[in-house]
Amino acid sequence: MKFKKALAIGLTAMMAVSMAACGGSVSSTSGSDAGTDSATADSTASDSSSSDSGDITYASVKLGETGTDLSVDLKLLTNRTDMLKDDYNGTTWAQYLEAFNKDYPNIKVDIEGLTNYADDSLLRLQGGDWGDIMMIPAVAKTDLSTYFLSYGSTDEVAKEVNYTNNWQYQGQTYGVPITANACGIVYNKKIFEQAGITELPTTPDEFIADLQKIKDNTDAIPLYTNYAAGWTLGAWDDYITGSATGDADWQNNGLVHGKNPFADPGDGTHAYNVYKILYEAVNKGLTEDDYSTTDWESSKGMMNSGEVATMVLGSWAVSQMQAAGDNPDDVAYMPFPITVNGEQYASAGPDYNFGISATTDADHQLASMIFVKWMTEKSGFSYNEGGLSNAAGATKMPALYDAFSKVTFVTNTPAPEGEEDYMNELNADSELNISNGGNDKVAAIVEAASDGSQTFDDIMNDWNEKWSAAQESVGIAVN
Amino acid sequence: MAGQLSGKTGTTTMARRRRMAQLKVIIAFSIIPLFLLILFTYYPFAEMVKFSFYKMRYTGARTFVGFQNYIDLFHRKDIVGSLKLCLYYMAGAVIQVILALYLATILSMKVKAANLWKGLIFFPYLISGIAIGFIFKFFYTRGFVLDTVLQAFGIPLESLPYWLKDKSINNWSLVYSSVWRYLGQNMILFIGAIMSVDGTLYEAAALDGASQFQIFRHVILPNIKTIVTLNIILSITGSLSAFEPPYVITNGNNGTGTFFVVMNKVAHTDQKVGLASAMAVFLLIIIILCTIVQKLLFAYVFRDATTDETTNRKKKHVKEAA
Repeated sequence: MKFKKALAIGLTAMMAVSMAACGGSVSSTSGSDAGTDSATADSTASDSSSSDSGDITYASVKLGETGTDLSVDLKLLTNRTDMLKDDYNGTTWAQYLEAFNKDYPNIKVDIEGLTNYADDSLLRLQGGDWGDIMMIPAVAKTDLSTYFLSYGSTDEVAKEVNYTNNWQYQGQTYGVPITANACGIVYNKKIFEQAGITELPTTPDEFIADLQKIKDNTDAIPLYTNYAAGWTLGAWDDYITGSATGDADWQNNGLVHGKNPFADPGDGTHAYNVYKILYEAVNKGLTEDDYSTTDWESSKGMMNSGEVATMVLGSWAVSQMQAAGDNPDDVAYMPFPITVNGEQYASAGPDYNFGISATTDADHQLASMIFVKWMTEKSGFSYNEGGLSNAAGATKMPALYDAFSKVTFVTNTPAPEGEEDYMNELNADSELNISNGGNDKVAAIVEAASDGSQTFDDIMNDWNEKWSAAQESVGIAVN
Repeated sequence: MAGQLSGKTGTTTMARRRRMAQLKVIIAFSIIPLFLLILFTYYPFAEMVKFSFYKMRYTGARTFVGFQNYIDLFHRKDIVGSLKLCLYYMAGAVIQVILALYLATILSMKVKAANLWKGLIFFPYLISGIAIGFIFKFFYTRGFVLDTVLQAFGIPLESLPYWLKDKSINNWSLVYSSVWRYLGQNMILFIGAIMSVDGTLYEAAALDGASQFQIFRHVILPNIKTIVTLNIILSITGSLSAFEPPYVITNGNNGTGTFFVVMNKVAHTDQKVGLASAMAVFLLIIIILCTIVQKLLFAYVFRDATTDETTNRKKKHVKEAA
């Protein structure tokens, strides 16, 4: 029983993390239908009530001045259950609250963690009585105003907060990201040194050559696919947008409207070359011996101890890998080895976003706004967690991004009006499910590369065919 | 007492009244379960059949496409291919029933610590399917449990296959985990049935000098044939809808995606609700067909057993009479 419970918690925690993986493009698009279905029904009813309280805005809150006389009890729902524990090897919620209460002694925040956050939070949201602040789960954008208070107009909020593009609707911003993640590769510094790699690879060919060096000169597994966990393979999808193209609009144009987006551009960039790295690595035996029995939990320790040299995962994974053993300093992060016209890029996107309840009274809403702003600007949460800064203007980057000094961060632009659902429809129709749980297609790459049953070009042609058929069926203009 | 005539009409009215009362009670008692059954089983099922004629996602517009989903179903390699995997699980189901019957027969004879053995064999059934999945994932991991045990018997690691990676055996690996789990449950059902066999039959057989196998063949088997049929039908239909082992252990990748796993992916990841509903209807038809075929087959197979049983009984009667 205990085992089962531990498993369940482990699984759900893992899934919660994976959902908020690098890029973060998942959260708004992934279909959580339980939430959207019933929500649409009552969205019209309470629309007006929320816009009335629009006088409280993020910009109008001045920390240390606004609301110092407020005495309010707040309730926060979070996915970060690990931070509720005293043995968390970072700053715990309790420590953040202590610091917050130095500035605002009369605003008490009660924090509840949900281990299966992505699903349970939607149920709580439907239930109504969930509290004051939550991490916005996968709700339809049209329902945002039903549940959440606007932080103000999109432009106003963007002046003070980065990565707010996930939860914007009709010119209003409903979410402030708790932190932001970038897409790169987790690697073990010590193994790289042992293998004689002095400069980090910047192209797919260099990367494969380096993996070969690691195989020849060390005992480490050059690239760990984490095949069995599934979502770890789906994570490769996050690299095909900004990281591989340097174009913030590629997802909306190149992918949605592009003709054969998985074709080889011939210059070592774009989606083709992202997946090709995986195919080549497996095909040349540069991955683990038996991919079918990999284990996510133990892979963290293997990265820490140097049994594994590289893993393709979002920056959120670094702190977990560092905490998983005695060699935290060996675990480092590097940009994805693709160079577009001499420049390297990294996709970056928000993690979960704070949303403030639209249904509580003005005092609670103001206090919530103060807390969110405090978390963003004063808590240092983003920095502590190794994230990119969510507060605009903050220049302090965690040491994690040392290798990213010359890298330009690219955030996918939101889909243009009227095209918000295109990506969803294409994903469903083509069954490729890019950045939307399409783990099987990437798993198929590993399988084909392992037994040579299909060439990489065949796989990509197949994807192109499926994608084109979907574009036609959905009725999307192809450039 | 009233007159004859009035008495008769009295009883008929009373009988009618009683029948009315009976009917009321029947309706009163069955209306709630029937309502629930219709609301939660038949109505959703009817809806699903309706969905199977539409091209639709969970949200958004629906378009009526007629039988297109059913046609697509036969043109998709992954769906047709996944049906073949059922054969592995059916083979496993047959082995499972035979093994369970064998163990049940042995354990219902005089065996030392029979209850302990029963408990040990039944135990896996009590573990949740998800946990079993995880147990077997580690069991089959390269160099872990199974490999270590086999190495202890002197088999070098190099000559051992990759239990889950090698496409020629990974389905058998999964089938084994399912047999391991359900064997005990089948066995317990058999033991229960065997215990209910009339004890005098054994005595009679023993008096006639029947061997253990003859007792099994002529006394036990005919008496528990209903439960044997039931177990086989359940196992075969269960193997058609195998889901947990491939879903948990391999995610249905690497050529292990059974019909249910593919259906789950089509319905939830790809959100092709219409196609998935068509798959479900199609599976239902297959299961019904399988059940009918089995019924006919068993009617044929046990044709002799029934005659045996009746002759046995006749013999017994003759003996008693004598």
